[in-house]
Amino acid sequence: MFSISKKINDWIEERLMLEDLPFFKTPDYMYKVNYWLGALVAGSFMYAVISGLLLLLYYEPSAGYTSTISIIDSIPYGSVVLYSHLYAAYAMIILAYTHMFYNYFHGAYKRPRELLWIIGVILLVLTLSASFMGYSLIGDVLAVSAVDVGAGIVSGLGLGFLNPILFGAYDSGDFTRVLALHIILVALIGLFFVLHFFLAESYGMMPSRKVKPKAPAVYTKEEWSKFNAWWPRNFVYMSSLIFLTWGFILAIPNALAYLSGYPTYLNPFLNPHPAPSPSSPAAMSVTAYPPWFFLFLFKIADFTSSYLIMVLIGAIIPLLWFILVPFIDRSAELDPMKRKVAVGVGLVFLTYFIQTTIWGAIAPAVPAKLSQLVLVFLPPPILIGLGLAFIKPRGTSPKSGTSPMISAAIFSALTLLFIGAFSMFSQYPSVLTAGAVIPLGILFALAGTKKVLNADQPSNSLPSTVTSIDVNKVNTKVKLAEIMIAILLIVSIALVAALWTIPPTGFLSNLFGIDLGIVFIMLGEAISLYHYVVYVAGKQSSTS
Amino acid sequence: MNDDNNEGKKIPILKPSDFFFLQKLLRTMRSPKSKFDSREFAEKGEDYLFNYVKKNNVGPIDQGRRNFLKGLVIGVAAVTVIGIIPGIREIVPPTVSISGFPKSLILASDGSPLKASSIPVNNPLVMIFEYPLKSEPNFILNLGDSSGKPMAIPSATVTIPQTGKTYTFPGGVGPNKSIVSYSARCQHLGCVPPYIHFYPPSYMTSAQLSAPSPDTLTAAALLAAKTSKAPAVIHCDCHGSTYDPYHGAAVLTGPTERPLPTVLLEWDSSSDYLYATGDIGVATYPLGSNGIPSKDPKEDLDESEFGSPVGDKTEISTLTVFGKSS
Repeated sequence: MFSISKKINDWIEERLMLEDLPFFKTPDYMYKVNYWLGALVAGSFMYAVISGLLLLLYYEPSAGYTSTISIIDSIPYGSVVLYSHLYAAYAMIILAYTHMFYNYFHGAYKRPRELLWIIGVILLVLTLSASFMGYSLIGDVLAVSAVDVGAGIVSGLGLGFLNPILFGAYDSGDFTRVLALHIILVALIGLFFVLHFFLAESYGMMPSRKVKPKAPAVYTKEEWSKFNAWWPRNFVYMSSLIFLTWGFILAIPNALAYLSGYPTYLNPFLNPHPAPSPSSPAAMSVTAYPPWFFLFLFKIADFTSSYLIMVLIGAIIPLLWFILVPFIDRSAELDPMKRKVAVGVGLVFLTYFIQTTIWGAIAPAVPAKLSQLVLVFLPPPILIGLGLAFIKPRGTSPKSGTSPMISAAIFSALTLLFIGAFSMFSQYPSVLTAGAVIPLGILFALAGTKKVLNADQPSNSLPSTVTSIDVNKVNTKVKLAEIMIAILLIVSIALVAALWTIPPTGFLSNLFGIDLGIVFIMLGEAISLYHYVVYVAGKQSSTS
Repeated sequence: MNDDNNEGKKIPILKPSDFFFLQKLLRTMRSPKSKFDSREFAEKGEDYLFNYVKKNNVGPIDQGRRNFLKGLVIGVAAVTVIGIIPGIREIVPPTVSISGFPKSLILASDGSPLKASSIPVNNPLVMIFEYPLKSEPNFILNLGDSSGKPMAIPSATVTIPQTGKTYTFPGGVGPNKSIVSYSARCQHLGCVPPYIHFYPPSYMTSAQLSAPSPDTLTAAALLAAKTSKAPAVIHCDCHGSTYDPYHGAAVLTGPTERPLPTVLLEWDSSSDYLYATGDIGVATYPLGSNGIPSKDPKEDLDESEFGSPVGDKTEISTLTVFGKSS
């Protein structure tokens, strides 16, 4: 039987030339999720496209709100698809930001990846715009007021003639134009994604700084040819990540559909249900808020009455910085501690983004006083600046002036500060305490990893293949993994049997999403365990 | 593996797993099927050896166990696919069907129940409610004579010109037995208000012949109304079909070959509320291949892709016609 399956395998492998795909060959140490953040973004994009096409079968843009409600109420598993579509977009945005900041702090925008980086920034803009359009398609009072605000900004910039082009007759409940633009923007994301993907494949994933400490951080042909081919290991690893992503995208929103009783400021993040119709009496009592990924922009509108200034500080300046950073930070250094200006600016942007988002959720449309602005936005750059000034680049610390005593003192001071800020934040969650806890947390993490790394490993060493592995330990782990896979199979059979009994509409139908999500997570986990047993443990026991 | 510092300890020269690996490798190398090419090995060095080991599955994890694991993982994948199958129902559009006609309370446009005595006689405004499905508009009319006094509408026999068959129109309801309701979808080609609407007696004049669309009457309609003694008509401006609301919306002039379906009304004399309880006459949508309607309007309900049921309440919406004169 296995010989037949092997024959089929070989046949497919040969026809598709899977062994010679022109994809990046991957060194062993890169099979960690932080090297695959882009794949997670792509995975959530794929999910959003598939679920979006399913929704397109039913959505009638001329009756936005009514058709949203009828998808939720009367289409089989309609609410499962709709809520997970929304959270696929959320996941894509969060992961895209993570992917971006990870690569930003690792200097991945440097030679030769400048163009790849710029296309990535364009993809972020497209993703946010497509998500905004998609959010508006619901046609509820929040969507309409979000488009109102968007249209207000456009006309506030003196570009009012663009409004009919961008949004059409949305205020009479007709979302034909918004739907068309939503799809067009997603198609553009697909197009730029292909470009982004093939450029990334041709340069290869960003190698560890221990291997390539300076730009251009690319492997030579000789190094490269020794790594693992895309087929089958990358395929296996990637499918485990994608199924895990899909599982969470399915399970989380459908579980949230049953959650209630949280404070209203968590609504933008935790509530997958649509708000009332804009023409219903209930709409009067709804406090308008934008989708969470534009909360920061919404809050900036409280700081200034000028739309131009708002768009400048909320969008244009950060975007310009991110597009131009490959040409501003041109040194060959990749170590964040040797690129303190770029890293500092990135940290300030990140902190401001999170702070303003939280502020927008807690106090939407409440005008901010100048004293508040100073209190909220002055400490983070000072903390970040001071912190960066004190942390020394890796590798120089033993020789440099600061003695280990002083650096230890700084580290413990930082630790104490972080703990203090964190307890303040957990007691009084506000933008002010968030402004302290975020930069301190990042600095603590930076200094912490540096300490651990400095203590453990000689700097600049190659990521050596693990030299002394306790074979018995590996064997136990392999056994455990094998048992886990068998258990996952059994549990997934039980879950799927339960899944077949869930009604397709009504209150209970969201259990289907939770259940299927968990099955997907288990599939991802099973593949991941298989990857460990066959590729990771297999290699370790052969090299030991 | 052979650690020279550990002389004191007893260490195995070769681990059993390595021994089996070597044994397997040697067997594979000797086998004529997968002969090890020593000349190529000399040329390409260890790359050839590694590829050889990989190609012939002599790796350290033995193939049987690996296949078993692969089977388990494929099992989980298959189970996941089985889990997705009920989800495929998502692509099957739900058919809207109601087993029978609902009894729906007719609401005024402000959401409160419509009082029968509050409906203006010979109202030039078009009052429409949806029944039994949304997107199925119906007129509600309080008919009167040419002086504006409500007029009791008697039961009548209505002929369907297309088939020659007949049915009985039950007559008007309400305090004066003057309230009737008909489908507002023209039976000719399906025009809806404002193109089809009621022309009160005061508009049954030759001045209407030259009125702009959608308020134009035809000479044939005026003549037919006169001959059948109808004080007012329902007329469709699309192609000129005319119906007699005083006699069950029977056909006055073509091109229509079918009367407008009648909506059965129930009047509650104690509360003065009106309820829609069913349709009679022809089906609203002629679904037969020859365009011949079923006499049973219930057939609309089973097949309907025309909207969702209105439920137990349906609201009036009002439309202004005779724009210039009113």
